[in-house]
Amino acid sequence: MISSPDVVAFTKEDEFGQADPDPWAVPEEFSVPLSPISDSNPWAKTSYAKFTKDFILISEFSEQVGPQPLLTIPEDPKVCGTFDLNYFSLRIMSVDYQASFVGHPPGSGYPRLSFVEDSRVVLGDSKEGAFAYVHHLTLYDLEARGFVRPFCMAYVSADERKIMLQFQELSLRFSQASECLKAGNRRAFAKELQRKLRDLEYTHSVLQREEGLQREAGTQRMYSAHAVEKANELANVEKSIYEHRDLLRQISSYNKRPRRDPQAVSCEKCINECLSECEQLIEKYAKLARPFSYTGKDETGQEGQKDGEEVAEEGEDVKRRPSYTPQLIKAKSAKCFDKRLKTLQELCDVTFYDATVTLLKETEKGFRGDLCYLHTRRLDKALRRKQRVTNFLFEEDLGDDDEEDERGILRPFCAVNHAVDNYTLLNPPHIVLGTEPLVLDALEPSDPCHPETSNNQDTEPGLVESHLDSSPSDQTLETQGSSEGNKGSFSSDKSGLDLAEKQLDLAKSEAPYPDSELTHEPDMERESSSEDMETTAGDEDGDGTPVSLLEVVSELEASREDQCEVITDGASDILIPLDSACCMAQEGFLYEASPAEITPCVGKSSNLQTPVVNQEPQALLPIQDDYTVGSPGSESPATGLELPVGLFGDAVSRTSVEEGSDCTMSASTGSDRGASPLGYGGVVTLRQRKKAGQGALKFVRQYPFAMQALWCLLSGRTLVVLGVDEGRVRRLVSALALFVPAPGRCGERVQAWLSCPFTLTDLQRWKLIGLQRVASPVGSSMLYSLSRYSRYISILDADHKTLRCPPYRGKLLANIADHRTYIRRGSTYFLHLQSTLCEMAAKAFLFTFTHHLHLPVSSTEGPEVVEGRRRCFLQEQLGLGEEDSQILLYLSQLITQHYLQPSTGGSAAATSFSFNYTTSVLYKI
Amino acid sequence: MSSGCPPQSPAVAKSEVAIEGECPLLAATFAYWDNILGPRVRHIWTPKGEQLMFLSDGEVTFLANHTLNGEILRSAECGAVDVKFFVLAEKGVIIVSLIFDGELKGDKNTCALSIILPQTELAFYLPLHTICVERLKHVIRKGRIWMQKGYNIISVLSLEIIPIMELLASMKSHHVPEDIDIKDTVLNDDDIGDSCHEDFLHKAVSSHLQTCGCSIVVGSNPEKVNKIVRTLCLFLTPAERKCSRLCKADSSFKYDTGLFVQGLLKDSTGSFVLPFRQVLYSPYPTTHIDVDINTVKQMPPCHEHTYNQRRYMRSELTALWKTDSEDDIPPETVIHTDETFTPDLNIFQDVMHKDTLVKSFIDEVFMLKPGLSLRSTYLAQFLLLLHRKALTLLKYIEDETQKGKKPFRSLRNLKTDLDLTVEGDLHIIMAFAEKLRAGLHSFVFSKPFYTSMQERDVFTTF
Repeated sequence: MISSPDVVAFTKEDEFGQADPDPWAVPEEFSVPLSPISDSNPWAKTSYAKFTKDFILISEFSEQVGPQPLLTIPEDPKVCGTFDLNYFSLRIMSVDYQASFVGHPPGSGYPRLSFVEDSRVVLGDSKEGAFAYVHHLTLYDLEARGFVRPFCMAYVSADERKIMLQFQELSLRFSQASECLKAGNRRAFAKELQRKLRDLEYTHSVLQREEGLQREAGTQRMYSAHAVEKANELANVEKSIYEHRDLLRQISSYNKRPRRDPQAVSCEKCINECLSECEQLIEKYAKLARPFSYTGKDETGQEGQKDGEEVAEEGEDVKRRPSYTPQLIKAKSAKCFDKRLKTLQELCDVTFYDATVTLLKETEKGFRGDLCYLHTRRLDKALRRKQRVTNFLFEEDLGDDDEEDERGILRPFCAVNHAVDNYTLLNPPHIVLGTEPLVLDALEPSDPCHPETSNNQDTEPGLVESHLDSSPSDQTLETQGSSEGNKGSFSSDKSGLDLAEKQLDLAKSEAPYPDSELTHEPDMERESSSEDMETTAGDEDGDGTPVSLLEVVSELEASREDQCEVITDGASDILIPLDSACCMAQEGFLYEASPAEITPCVGKSSNLQTPVVNQEPQALLPIQDDYTVGSPGSESPATGLELPVGLFGDAVSRTSVEEGSDCTMSASTGSDRGASPLGYGGVVTLRQRKKAGQGALKFVRQYPFAMQALWCLLSGRTLVVLGVDEGRVRRLVSALALFVPAPGRCGERVQAWLSCPFTLTDLQRWKLIGLQRVASPVGSSMLYSLSRYSRYISILDADHKTLRCPPYRGKLLANIADHRTYIRRGSTYFLHLQSTLCEMAAKAFLFTFTHHLHLPVSSTEGPEVVEGRRRCFLQEQLGLGEEDSQILLYLSQLITQHYLQPSTGGSAAATSFSFNYTTSVLYKI
Repeated sequence: MSSGCPPQSPAVAKSEVAIEGECPLLAATFAYWDNILGPRVRHIWTPKGEQLMFLSDGEVTFLANHTLNGEILRSAECGAVDVKFFVLAEKGVIIVSLIFDGELKGDKNTCALSIILPQTELAFYLPLHTICVERLKHVIRKGRIWMQKGYNIISVLSLEIIPIMELLASMKSHHVPEDIDIKDTVLNDDDIGDSCHEDFLHKAVSSHLQTCGCSIVVGSNPEKVNKIVRTLCLFLTPAERKCSRLCKADSSFKYDTGLFVQGLLKDSTGSFVLPFRQVLYSPYPTTHIDVDINTVKQMPPCHEHTYNQRRYMRSELTALWKTDSEDDIPPETVIHTDETFTPDLNIFQDVMHKDTLVKSFIDEVFMLKPGLSLRSTYLAQFLLLLHRKALTLLKYIEDETQKGKKPFRSLRNLKTDLDLTVEGDLHIIMAFAEKLRAGLHSFVFSKPFYTSMQERDVFTTF
């Protein structure tokens, strides 16, 4: 009984001995909590902040109103919630961390501009649960006190550790933004000086005329008070002109000074352009010195000459800037609080301002999400770079353009679209953590793969400036090229995605899955924290191009690629010992068509069932580096089986006569081939794979025979998903595609929807096929092809929920295909799947490169002994049964092919058919 | 710079600390906000000898005062220690300031304990930031008690400032490189038993991973010690490697709290005495590896370690609170106990949990031919697997508990679903997850643990 007096002693101390007030006990404020909040909830430490997401805050220390927030990124007020931005601005701006002298230095006649380096501070407000990386910078403003306006850009987060662990990346990104803003500000400042000098010049000339007239009117040696005032005014204007000329000289010397900040990032081109622009201005306004030499000695001549020059100058200026009319400057400027200070936009050249804001938006996006996901993703990427030899099996594309990331250096770029190489980073920081390189890619200027980036930049409103004139032509060319090059893939991506999503939505509304937990999936708030960072450029926006047209375009693209592959095929240099027994069993059709592919089979051991690397790796290639081996031009056997379009013309001649008709049909309905289920013609992204993870979990939970289906895919047996409803079939294919080894960069080994009979060549090419069930002559032909090739394929009937495939009795897949799993979310299942597949890939790597398994230890050993050793390794060392071994053998075979022919990228590396005489079994729900 | 600096106050006391080797620390300062005079520096510590950059006392004072600027607005809870981190390119320095409140001369003041380094040491310092801050935070806790009693805080602060100077100097000369060549490790041996016994290596790596990558390697032969240190560091992230230290060939470093892997040399008598307090204050439990006798011992898992650590900290602070005289600062070698808590001095125990993950990795990696980067690739695959499993586990718990809003009750399901039924495997993955989400162990395991500890405590009082 809970109320029993026996347990009173246990209930006495709620907080593990803290309840008793001990006079000698140290007060809590001087001690450490025994059970801090993070123990009861490790996710809670950031929950008491008054804002929901990290954001960027730009604040200013206004000389009129003090510290004030100017802008937040994202601008949505919901992000900041009830967080007091005014108070926080006060906190972060309350100290002038740059602390340098401004104004008139002693002994100097002219005001000096202070060129101070940016300072970076991490601070927080532990009570509010808000922490910030604060980047302090100074902009120049002719109207401001000391000509400086202190600003700061702050990355505000509830997680202090996130800021400190990513300090260097934050510093780098904000330094880029700051340099961009400051470069724009210097241009604007120089222009402002130019206008001011023109005003002063105009005022000077007016005053000069007035003074001259007065002097002529008055008697000699007698000056009226008015004349004296005018003379003083004139002297003041002259002084002011000198001062402003000096300011112009100072601002133009900005980039010549030595930088003290090793973290500063600057674009050489920006610097040079700014420099030359300022020099032009200096040169121009140096001529204004002449009017000051007006002494009355040679009044007519000088004045006439000056006027003439001025007119010419004016004329030139009018031509250049017809909008600006010089103003007469009043003797006394407005009082401090009367004047309106310029806004941040006004302080900065519009192009640079927009580029800065874009840069900050990308920064915010890049650092979005929970630290543990950011951190793991970073580590994940670094580790995957070290295993390029197996990445093609199950990992999404790493890309080649982030090599520098590998060394821990974020590649800086010019925010206003200058070439990357122009940047100089004085002391490239080591990156502990980083942001999604996709974001960087999206920002990269003139990237042919991201035409929208350069388009955006091209259409910036402020790009009439001279410094940008040089780049647009190049960009346009590149953009055109890239847009042509990517038409097919991009457009099919969108349309296919949209279609699939619509169908998914439809299906959701029509037939909800029995698992109610799964229907709770879109918990946006929760997902946003951990998975928002997976955002991929161009993921969401469609281009609206009609599907049919896009598919044709994509088909054409595919055909062109096929042609290329056919051309290079002849020169292929295949080293893999293929299973000749397998070829024979298939009535010799497989490689008869391609003479180039017969070669490797000859002279190889027919007993080797797996095409493993049967030479010591070092004998083949310099493996130390990047496993880049094989002749660059070599192509996989699969390419020879591609349907020829145009170039060789005679498609049938390359395949068996028997298959000819089917091939022709397949080719004629090639519009189905453009789209792949995941990438839809484009590169398959992590986000798409995660989405597919949800479908995969549903599949595993719904179909008790999911394990058999997965085994088929993982062991290289083509799985055909048959169904009437295109949406359902596509969804299934999309989910199952996660299990297809080496699906290709764009999912080339998967055909989401095929409405015509397939051929053996198709089976060679695709490992997962979505097939339309139709009640027509075409349908009967399809059923014929299904039954005909049933030896090589497994058939998942989406309509009747059946699976026909050989039985699987292994244990390897039990963990990823358990329909009783308690994994609730698709994203979690995807992570689990990733781990399991990664483990499989590692075992396959081990099997492939353990050389003693594939080589005879002594000359007396025959291939049977080696084969036996290999079997023994699989069964005893790895503990795999017969069916599980098949998975590993298939993966190993793919690794071998990829390793020997890296130029094909693995995706094109089709393997030989494998089959056995095990009878297929029909599984039902 | 001197033109902008205020003249140095004659009241500023200064301690010059003799440090062996090159110390990257320029100075440490203790400043406070005087209610009349504003920010004032009370004490400066500087390393003796040549430095990377010279700062005059005036400049140090200027910088130290700077760290307190703006703190007039401070609204932190009483006892909170806030950290500010400055990179002042204009001055070429980085400053780490810990802001706290304390009583000076009967007034409550805002104080700042700061360390100043050259900006060029930013990349060197950043990985060590957490270690320095955590250690300084604890000495500040002690210092606040001292201030409350009206004693001089400087003597207490010196207890940690000097070791931190020594730590930074030792890390400068003996840190583990970020990229470790597998050739310098045991994993490059032709066969598994070449350098060390097979089971020893398995045990060492397994325990090392179970204790979040935190290990001490002791031995008489520095080369042997360092080979194991490098081997263990292969299983760490690059940032964690930067927080690891090789052993010195001639004499041993002191044990330093917070480092991930550190090599320590035994003395001439063949022993190395570990300071109980410092080992207990490590953020993670530690594995103790003796390469002379091939033994591997480990501390209890994270939640128990954290519990013991906090209990001990409280005991230490209580002891300080009870001190009557300024001269009676309890030495760090004293083991603190109180009525309700007696620390278990036998903190290193045998490795109890067997695993399959490391076992199969160690077995398999030696099958690959050495010297070809095959083993590095296989290691990368293994680490990728561990990191992914950890993230999966974290996400699983996150889903199950709605981000900690509900208690976690389905450990058995987790083990089955994620294939972590072997206890050692679970501990390894949990340790990885703990580093990603601090407090996870306590969240998952603490209820039964706390209950048992509470019961034990209650029974001991009968």
